[in-house]
Amino acid sequence: MARYGMALDYKSCINCKACESACKEENGILLGADKHRIWVGVPEMEGIFPNLSIGSSSYAPSQCQQCDNAPCQEVCPTNATYYDDNGVVRVNPEQCILCTYCMQACPYDARYIDDRTMTVDKCNFCSDTRLINGETTTACQATCPTKVRIFGDLDDPNSEISQVLRDREHYSLKTHLGTKPKLYYLT
Amino acid sequence: MNLNNILPYKKQTLKSFFSFEFTTANVVMFLVSIALVTAMFYGIGVYLAEGHHAYGVTRDHAWGLLIAMYVFFVVSSTGLCIMSSIGHVFNIEAFKIIGKRAIVGAIIMILVGFSVIAFEIGHPVRMVIYNILTPGLTSAIWWMGTLYGMYLFFIILEFFFLNNNNHKYSTIFGLAGLVVGLAAHSNLGAVFGFLVARPFANGPFFPLYFILSAMVTGSYLLFLMYGWRYKMKFPPEVETFLYTLAKVLGLLLAVLIFFEIWRMLTAIYGNMPERADVAMHTLTSANFLVGEVLLGMLIPFAIIIYSKGKAAKALVYASITGMVGIFWMRYDLVHDTQLAHMMPLKIKEYAVTTPFVEYTPTLVEWMISLGALGLAVMMYYAADKFFDLDHKSEESH
Ligand code: SF4
Ligand code: SF4
Ligand code: SF4
Repeated sequence: MARYGMALDYKSCINCKACESACKEENGILLGADKHRIWVGVPEMEGIFPNLSIGSSSYAPSQCQQCDNAPCQEVCPTNATYYDDNGVVRVNPEQCILCTYCMQACPYDARYIDDRTMTVDKCNFCSDTRLINGETTTACQATCPTKVRIFGDLDDPNSEISQVLRDREHYSLKTHLGTKPKLYYLT
Repeated sequence: MNLNNILPYKKQTLKSFFSFEFTTANVVMFLVSIALVTAMFYGIGVYLAEGHHAYGVTRDHAWGLLIAMYVFFVVSSTGLCIMSSIGHVFNIEAFKIIGKRAIVGAIIMILVGFSVIAFEIGHPVRMVIYNILTPGLTSAIWWMGTLYGMYLFFIILEFFFLNNNNHKYSTIFGLAGLVVGLAAHSNLGAVFGFLVARPFANGPFFPLYFILSAMVTGSYLLFLMYGWRYKMKFPPEVETFLYTLAKVLGLLLAVLIFFEIWRMLTAIYGNMPERADVAMHTLTSANFLVGEVLLGMLIPFAIIIYSKGKAAKALVYASITGMVGIFWMRYDLVHDTQLAHMMPLKIKEYAVTTPFVEYTPTLVEWMISLGALGLAVMMYYAADKFFDLDHKSEESH
């Protein structure tokens, strides 16, 4: 079985939001749920006009980090949140009681309430729409015009993501919490 | 078979059930309770129609007033249970008179707490099913819920045997209720304390503080229940009990104040992000300064110190401010835990950045939460009508 992760060449991101739109379309996210399942963070530019630092002007695309040691899974009272065979952290809406404890526990603000099922949902790397059919892409990755997103199997040494993580420096978010995120930011 | 043989109760006709002495206090209490319960039912109606959209909760502030109120009620329940066990489990003389009244209070408080949380948890029925089918054993909510279920079972049995004057079994179930209640309640603290993502809540403080503040809450509630029961004209054994209770409460408050001082100092020291800034925000808020510190701790503490614990009547009134303070402790606990933005970058673009996550309860939330107080009063009234909650004179010797 695979262990999926995503590397983000975030300095190439142009904040076009094609990924946000594609995700909403793919996963049926309701209108108004902006920045719920996937979002592009906009850091403030450093410096004072006109001496702005161009180097600091990058965007921060993000979503659920698919933690290997996920706090959201640990706190779930009914095991509605689980790791699937691909290492993807998923929610079974049948079992979710909407206690929203996982929303408190997630350090990345990655979870939201899906008003269609009245349960908590999050990015699942398009498991229901793509991975299940044998595809190995995600909607956000397939649509990105500047190829920010590299999606693949971390356990396969020949996958593009494994290679890029070997070759390039990268960091992950809030690693001091021990969550072992599987989203990698390439520097 | 006659129910009265199994569970002795006072026979009531409809008329006797609804009749009470027409004093101003009684009539005001009656009207306020009716108004509160009406508000609660109205609020529940709106919630059933609109779901969580009737509440002020948001994605980054998913827990609101109802969670705070649930904590408020279950803290009250555990507090009453702990305080009553001082008498009939640990045999401390002065506390022996409070058994039945306190345990009935504990049962009512937890039932009301459950009825509040039922309108916050999205799928309460599903919860009961999957709590058993697929238990999440690493979840503090699972332990808290399961242990509270057992706790309720034990204290109901405890009341049953107390009411039957069966001392052996009431002590056994009293002890079981106490132990399980302590476990459940510290687990409720751990629901917050286990949140690694939230440095201000993370750590052993909340599980310990929950037990301590439960005992403070139990003491306030006992002052209120006895003040109301005897309309401030206390018989000697009750007076003795209240004097002892005041001393215990004084000690508990001193420890609580000490706990709070060190919690805040360690939180601020070193300026750690998401902890020091949250602590400063809390420390400078009226909720904390007026609600928690002044009403919840200092006023009752000052009265105990200046009267050397002899001002039972003043303490009954101070227990009202005390309970208001306890409410703010619960509210702040829930609110402060969620103050820090988890992903600050996310919000910069469309919205003006607020330094902290904001939350304002809606009217519907207030209606359900405060309305539940009316429900508690009504259930207590009914319990008082059906059961003899007073101590027997031989129990006081
Ligand atoms: S980022 Fe949040 S939602 Fe995603 S796996 Fe980690 S803790 Fe869970
Ligand atoms: S809201 Fe659902 S998925 Fe999240 S912790 Fe509760 S039951 Fe689990
Ligand atoms: S589609 Fe790609 S470039 Fe566009 S916002 Fe998303 S990550 Fe950035």
